[in-house]
Amino acid sequence: MAAADVKRHSKKRKAAPEEEAPAPPPAAFPQDVGLEMGSEDEGEDGGDVSDDGVVDHFPEIDTRSDTEDEDYTEDGEDEPDESEEDEEEDEEDGESSEETSDDDLGIFPKAKTVISDITGQPKRVYPDIEPDYDSDSSTEDTPNRVGDIPMHWYDDLPHVGYDINGKKVLRPARGDELDKFLKTVEDPEAWTSAFDKNLQMDKPLSPEELDIIRRLQQGENPDASYDPYEPTVEWFTGKGKEEIMPLSAAPEPKRRWIPSKWEKQKVMKIVRAIRQGRILPNKPKTASTQPQFYPIWNDEPSSAPAPLPAPKPRLPGHAESYNPPEEYLPTQEEREKWEATEPEDRERDFLPQKYAALRLVPAYDQFIKERFNRQLDLYLAPRVHRVKLQIDPESLIPKLPSPSSLKPFPVYKSLQVAHEGRRVRTVSVSPDGGWVVTGDEGGVVRLWEVMVGKEIKRWTFKSKIGAVEWCPRTDVSFFAVAIEDRIHFLFPPNLPAAILAATQHALSPANLPPPPAVPSPVKWVSVPAAQSSTDAPILSLHLPSSPEPPKQLVWHRKGDYLASVSEGQAGVWMHQISRRHSQAPFKKIKGAVQLVLFHPSKPHFFVATQRYVRMYNLAEQKLLKTLMPGIRWISCMDVHPSGDHLIVGGYDRKLCWFDLELSDKPYKILRYHSRALRSVHFHPTYPLFASSSDDGSIQVFHARVYNDLMTNPLIVPLKILRGHEVKEGLGVFAVRWVPRQPWLVSAGADGQVSVWCS
Amino acid sequence: MASTSTSEPTHPVVFTTQTPYALPSQKFMIPTSWKRYQLSQLVNKALSLPKPIPFEFLVQGEILRGTLAEWCAEKGVGEEETLEIEYFESVMPPQRMSTLPHEDWVSSISCQLPGYFLTASYDGAIRIFDYSQKLLHTTAPHSAPISSLCIVPEPSRADDSSHLLATASQDLTARLTRIDLSSPSSPKAHTLASLHLHTAPLSSVSASPSGAHILTSSWDGLIGVFDTSIPDADEVPADEVAGGERKKRRKVVQEDGSEAPRPKRKAPTTVLKSHTARVSRVVFGPEAKGASAYSCGFDSTVRTWDVENGVCTSTITASSKPFLDIALTANGHTALAASTDRTVSQYDLRAATTSATTPSVATLTHPATPSCIAVARPSASAPAVSTSASEHQLVTGAYDGVVRLWDLRSTRAAVAAFRAWESNAGTGPKKVLSVDWARGLVGVGGEGGVEVWKVGEGDRITTTA
Repeated sequence: MAAADVKRHSKKRKAAPEEEAPAPPPAAFPQDVGLEMGSEDEGEDGGDVSDDGVVDHFPEIDTRSDTEDEDYTEDGEDEPDESEEDEEEDEEDGESSEETSDDDLGIFPKAKTVISDITGQPKRVYPDIEPDYDSDSSTEDTPNRVGDIPMHWYDDLPHVGYDINGKKVLRPARGDELDKFLKTVEDPEAWTSAFDKNLQMDKPLSPEELDIIRRLQQGENPDASYDPYEPTVEWFTGKGKEEIMPLSAAPEPKRRWIPSKWEKQKVMKIVRAIRQGRILPNKPKTASTQPQFYPIWNDEPSSAPAPLPAPKPRLPGHAESYNPPEEYLPTQEEREKWEATEPEDRERDFLPQKYAALRLVPAYDQFIKERFNRQLDLYLAPRVHRVKLQIDPESLIPKLPSPSSLKPFPVYKSLQVAHEGRRVRTVSVSPDGGWVVTGDEGGVVRLWEVMVGKEIKRWTFKSKIGAVEWCPRTDVSFFAVAIEDRIHFLFPPNLPAAILAATQHALSPANLPPPPAVPSPVKWVSVPAAQSSTDAPILSLHLPSSPEPPKQLVWHRKGDYLASVSEGQAGVWMHQISRRHSQAPFKKIKGAVQLVLFHPSKPHFFVATQRYVRMYNLAEQKLLKTLMPGIRWISCMDVHPSGDHLIVGGYDRKLCWFDLELSDKPYKILRYHSRALRSVHFHPTYPLFASSSDDGSIQVFHARVYNDLMTNPLIVPLKILRGHEVKEGLGVFAVRWVPRQPWLVSAGADGQVSVWCS
Repeated sequence: MASTSTSEPTHPVVFTTQTPYALPSQKFMIPTSWKRYQLSQLVNKALSLPKPIPFEFLVQGEILRGTLAEWCAEKGVGEEETLEIEYFESVMPPQRMSTLPHEDWVSSISCQLPGYFLTASYDGAIRIFDYSQKLLHTTAPHSAPISSLCIVPEPSRADDSSHLLATASQDLTARLTRIDLSSPSSPKAHTLASLHLHTAPLSSVSASPSGAHILTSSWDGLIGVFDTSIPDADEVPADEVAGGERKKRRKVVQEDGSEAPRPKRKAPTTVLKSHTARVSRVVFGPEAKGASAYSCGFDSTVRTWDVENGVCTSTITASSKPFLDIALTANGHTALAASTDRTVSQYDLRAATTSATTPSVATLTHPATPSCIAVARPSASAPAVSTSASEHQLVTGAYDGVVRLWDLRSTRAAVAAFRAWESNAGTGPKKVLSVDWARGLVGVGGEGGVEVWKVGEGDRITTTA
């Protein structure tokens, strides 16, 4: 069968050339492979005609074509003619052009298109194959025509593939081992043959192949033509070849220095087009032709929020189901009520309905309306991005220890001492914690026991008491009272003899120290020790006259220096008891001095003006730092017993905690009082401080200061003590801690002095 | 019982008592809605007492204040459990007996002397009143406020008309004063000795039951032990005091009695040093020899002292409770200490250790600072007061002017309370600074003077009346 087919094909092929001549093959392979180049080569005239009147873009010059030109010149020594060029190009174009060349040789028959008699459609007819004398292949062995297939596919099968008609090609019978042996005996060539899987037969190896095998066996180069012992060709060495490089010794071609004809033609074409105005060198620039790019990274990133997502439609619930559970179905009353209400007032814009099957559900009559509403939602939706913070408010509150774990601190009013309705401006507790001295605006100074509240002694002066302050020394016992322009020194009754003698000696020494070189405007007047009594001041200082009494007295920790602050410019005086000398430490101070304070351990001195607290070094007489509490009017301040922390209270309700090592700005600002602060005080030993205010309350704080510089002070509000009445807008004027006990003494505008116990 | 109706829920109860009014020991079914009044009526009827006596009922050691049902619900006691209820004569509501007006605050009062009240005041004077509110005598041994007063018992002395008083003052001395009450119209008093040790005001003075020793406590943390013998000469040289004060003191002495010799200056026999802060109160133990003493102070400690050897034998340390007053119960095993944190704490002295903070047995919570404590002390003149109830009772005076009567078996609330000195609106409450309780009479001294109230058990009142 297969052989017959082949014959038929060959007949057709033989017939083809006859009809080929009159009808060239229909443009199966258009012959214009080189036409592009050809059209360019055509010359100037054709281009002129075709391009007439059309404004062209500037033609691109193909750089590739130049290199191709170069290649040609490299290949051939001489400039090739055009036919050669065509051939080259044809070869580059690949298989299709090969067929063309085959066609010329006449091996493959050319198909002819004819109109079919039967269908009336054009059909392709191949010429008959003309049998000539070598066309008969009947004598040949029928080769195995299964094609170029991987033969191992059929290793386990009885056939070795399929012929062109789809019939199995059976595996030819092979002899058994005895046949093989006999073959090797009979055929001397048998040992040089190998089994060809494609042909399914033994093929004798050619002498060349045998030679290759032999070479491989001997480890030689399998290529027979390779001569390993070629004579040396002295390309670069030897006489006369020293300078000549191997590539080419040909003289430079002429084209290397004459301008290219084709380029000239291309350029001239462009030049002519420009001259005739067909090519404009620069297109007119309009706004639309401006470059449409811009640097997108140069601008600052927009602070506008990200575009908001459209509001999401509500997800349908069970009620929207076509087959909702029974409990979602409205009752008759609900249905009537729903129908009675206006559509705008309805909670839901539908009534749940039940259908037995999805196919029974009618078309949704509200569909258009719902879609329309959705569109309205999308473009009329209030595009406000509400960021809902998922923060537990409890977590924002700082973790503070509970006050009950920070006991002891004062919690209740133990007792109260009345001052007959006069405002008690000042209070001071003795350093042993047993006695309190209070001074009111009526000029009465009272001395009473802390724990009983019994007045032991009373001194009456003419005008209001500005300040009272116990001397912190323990070997003597006296306190200073500021009235008008005097500072009186008093000592309590019932002193032990040794302390009394020391007090009298300190305040009224038998032989006065030599007067200072620079006379001071402050006069020291003392009663001789023998005539001194508890009833009258043993020592008085006469300050320069001032309308108001000194509003603050403060002792240095060692009890030798006493600083007093009066109204006016030169209001700060420093009095030294042992030398009986007073001096004004500051010639001039910016702003009115409100308060002064001694540092507990260093020779530093705090001066609070209306807004700032300045820290001076008294030994070196220079300003150390200026603290800016940010308070409009400072009313009170106190320094921590460690000396590293300062609290400042103001009339604008703020209390600032300064870490003196840390910064000029407050470490913490506490704004817990509702009215102006009047007094703050640190406990000398317990980690407590208290602040009093015009709102009538006293606030007690736990303030633990760590020696470790890295740990911030711990400030915990502990207790608000209420009990003082607010009179004429004035609340608690002064708070003082009782040394050695967590007790607080407070003096108020209502004339009451209270002792608060733990 | 016949009186119980079947519809009401009942509870089985067994009654016990230590009083002479004992019920037969049988089980009673008591309606759970009954309160103290019904129970008291039941006891009275069952015993058919001629005169009704109110009783107080203790259920498992706690005074019954509401109905029985409430108590059972609170304690989670089932209906079938048999309750053991102890009862005793209830305290009659305190009655004001008399008011002894004073010009100055009264810091200390003593009712220990039968027939007399002795008060010490902040003006430095000792006043002697008899039961008819008549001021018999005023003597001023101190120029400074007197903080404490006590009567030194003299068992060896035969006559009952002369007594020795010890006073502690803020003028850094304690003094011994003998008062002679032999002639009721004109009692005499003269100061025998001044006790010198302290360098700070004295807070209390206490005499041993035998009368041989006196303890003084002071703000300087020391406790001085003195004997009561009057020396012939000064043991301590007179200190060089400035003129003013010495003059004043001499003048006072001369006013009292021109022929009386100047008080002798005595030195302590022992000084007890252990307190680190002010000692607010020191008392002797109940033993007749006066071998042990108890003190409390602002350093939150209660210390037990061996007076003879002058050492602190044990310490009860509380946490941040500055103590103001201490009192011992009659058996001497329990200390009651008032502190500024508004509590009166009960400490078991037998369990005292020196190591850690000792927890209190019970705490009596006050609304104001309790300043003074008194227990009904057995005294030689009235020996038969130590009944079962009075062992557990105490009175406390507080700064809110209220004197409270407590029963240690029921520490949640006071058994009775009364306000001394009707305070007028302007000044606020008047502080109670001192209470003393003897023979059914509570003397209250303080800001408003002295008041005497009748507080005691029913039977004692009836017997004394």
